[in-house]
Amino acid sequence: MTQTIDISSYSTITDAIRSEARRILSDSTVSAVIGYTAGRRKGSTQPIVITTADDADQLIFTAACLNDLVVYLTKAKKDVPKSGRIGIVVKGCDLKALVGLLGESQLKRENLYLIGIPCSGVLGSLLKPSAELTTETIASKCCECSDQLPVGCDFVPTVTPAPLPDLEKRYANEIARLEAMTPSERWEFWKEQFSKCIKCYACRQVCPFCFCEQCLCDRNRPQMVEQTPRPSGNTAWHLVRAMHLAGRCAGCAECERVCPMDIPLNLLNRKMAKELKELFNSEAGFEVRDTGPLTSYREDDDQSFIR
Amino acid sequence: MQKQITEANLRLLIDSLLLKGQRVVGPRQSGSMVLYEPLASASDLVTDELPRRSIKEAFFPVCEDLLEYRKEGQQIELKDIDPARFPETVLIGVRPCDAAAVPVLDAVFSWDYKDQFFLARRAKTTIIGLVCTTADDACFCTAVGLSPNDPKGSDLLLTPLVGGGFLVESQSEKGEAFLATWQDRFSEPDGTQTQALATPALQPFDLKKIKAWLDDHFEDPAWDSIAVRCVGCGACAFVCPACHCFDIVDEGSEKAGKRRKFWDACGFSKFTNHASGHNPRDLQPKRYRNRIMHKFKYYDDKFGQTLCTGCGRCIRVCPVGIDIAGVLEEIQEK
Ligand code: SF4
Ligand code: SF4
Ligand code: SF4
Ligand code: SF4
Repeated sequence: MTQTIDISSYSTITDAIRSEARRILSDSTVSAVIGYTAGRRKGSTQPIVITTADDADQLIFTAACLNDLVVYLTKAKKDVPKSGRIGIVVKGCDLKALVGLLGESQLKRENLYLIGIPCSGVLGSLLKPSAELTTETIASKCCECSDQLPVGCDFVPTVTPAPLPDLEKRYANEIARLEAMTPSERWEFWKEQFSKCIKCYACRQVCPFCFCEQCLCDRNRPQMVEQTPRPSGNTAWHLVRAMHLAGRCAGCAECERVCPMDIPLNLLNRKMAKELKELFNSEAGFEVRDTGPLTSYREDDDQSFIR
Repeated sequence: MQKQITEANLRLLIDSLLLKGQRVVGPRQSGSMVLYEPLASASDLVTDELPRRSIKEAFFPVCEDLLEYRKEGQQIELKDIDPARFPETVLIGVRPCDAAAVPVLDAVFSWDYKDQFFLARRAKTTIIGLVCTTADDACFCTAVGLSPNDPKGSDLLLTPLVGGGFLVESQSEKGEAFLATWQDRFSEPDGTQTQALATPALQPFDLKKIKAWLDDHFEDPAWDSIAVRCVGCGACAFVCPACHCFDIVDEGSEKAGKRRKFWDACGFSKFTNHASGHNPRDLQPKRYRNRIMHKFKYYDDKFGQTLCTGCGRCIRVCPVGIDIAGVLEEIQEK
């Protein structure tokens, strides 16, 4: 049965973000705040970078605030000025990505002012941004979220997110379904998914961890993987993407959300996360780690998969 | 010429075409999406949803081979792809915003260089457009000089009738020929009213005024505020019926391989990267500026048309909510 999800706290959160942004911009704690603002279409939102206290009232938080804004902090986004300390609005899942980037020495904590969202979930897609948040329309990542309340921020509005109703664990169920398949059935599934890819790279461009200034997949002298959106090039791209994110992906699921061809990219990410949890007891969280599970070696590492 | 056809006869017509071995492409469910794809039977045709990708790929596919090469010692063998291999195709259920983009593409692909791959497919295709009776809040054809019943680009135009069936109007010789070949399936119009048109919310833009602003605002702080959020993907360009940039690459080995043409986009950071390493569009706002300039200024300067039909696809897919109609409104108000 479809149930409405209680997001009544989002208007309080909006007010709190605005006043905090106004404060930190007017006393020059930060030089800019990266947040969300309303778009032209009913219910739509877009990221915004504000630099004056007067613009603070443009900030909002709604169930359509899907973007992981952390991507704008990376060196790949040179267009967003990085001078001085920057304020940024983060949900729990976004914060885990930010923490990952701190661990990879991509960001410095003292250059950031984190405005955390006590989160009750967001929509799965922006194709209909004015949709009501329900147990159907909620993002799959939110159905398995245990990080609604971000930890370690500089400011978090004092509201307690309403507990989410019982939600179907869509990723876990789908992974179980795929794991039960034979390898060739599973390969058929992914072949079909990858064949839909048009190489628009929206998935890469929104990923906070895809900050390489020269993506291997864009190289053509020499070509490292086939660039064209055909079966071999697509498969190569998806394997590169999945492997480069294993042990790093924080689960913000932006790649999957933005894919115009509905490819379930986060399913691969979640499967990788599951393997890493099982093999190395490692998972993305709110604590900064200076080495990742695949960038460190321990004598007692599980090696059973080497055959 | 005006005719009429019942819903049942339209389906029969599609099945007859298929039975004859004719390739028929139209909107159909493909996994979770509706896409323009070859129909296997008339029941595949979806008439109430705008496909996720545009009709351009009927003439300009995501990726296609241009030639094959093989090297043995000093011998190099090149094999052309014969454009004659493209099959005769009927495109059916094409939305007016998609059909209208076809003449826009014609202009560029038959301009200083005649793109035989595009033109050969184009010559072998009959386009049957379908008037829109619903719109969503991303649609804005009416704001860029088109309308939900615009015949531009269609050889035949279907308009849904009250109570079912379609009014059929031919718009070209190809359309006339099609009606003549399949005359048994059509009847004379009996005066049944056509269904009410879709009503996109936006008022017509003053495209002249917008262009006048673009003409002398290559440098303007607005580009930063509009596009600092743009993450530089190809989503908007790839779903767009009018965007037509492509790249060419050789793939294979030293011994054998293929030369391929595939979609490219001005949003990509590498799009204007010079061999020297210099990139004149070094930041994203400069790339997004090109998107708007090309659509509403450069293309107009060259071909007297706008490179946008208001289909709204780019608005629906942009990962960061960049809304081209909103951008045009903003420019118009300046
Ligand atoms: S995954 Fe958790 S923190 Fe992220 S949007 Fe969903 S509920 Fe909020
Ligand atoms: S966003 Fe989707 S279609 Fe685009 S490159 Fe990524 S997987 Fe492919
Ligand atoms: S620019 Fe956007 S709205 Fe205009 S034709 Fe292209 S995809 Fe459609
Ligand atoms: S406008 Fe949106 S869809 Fe287009 S390149 Fe920028 S982020 Fe991608």
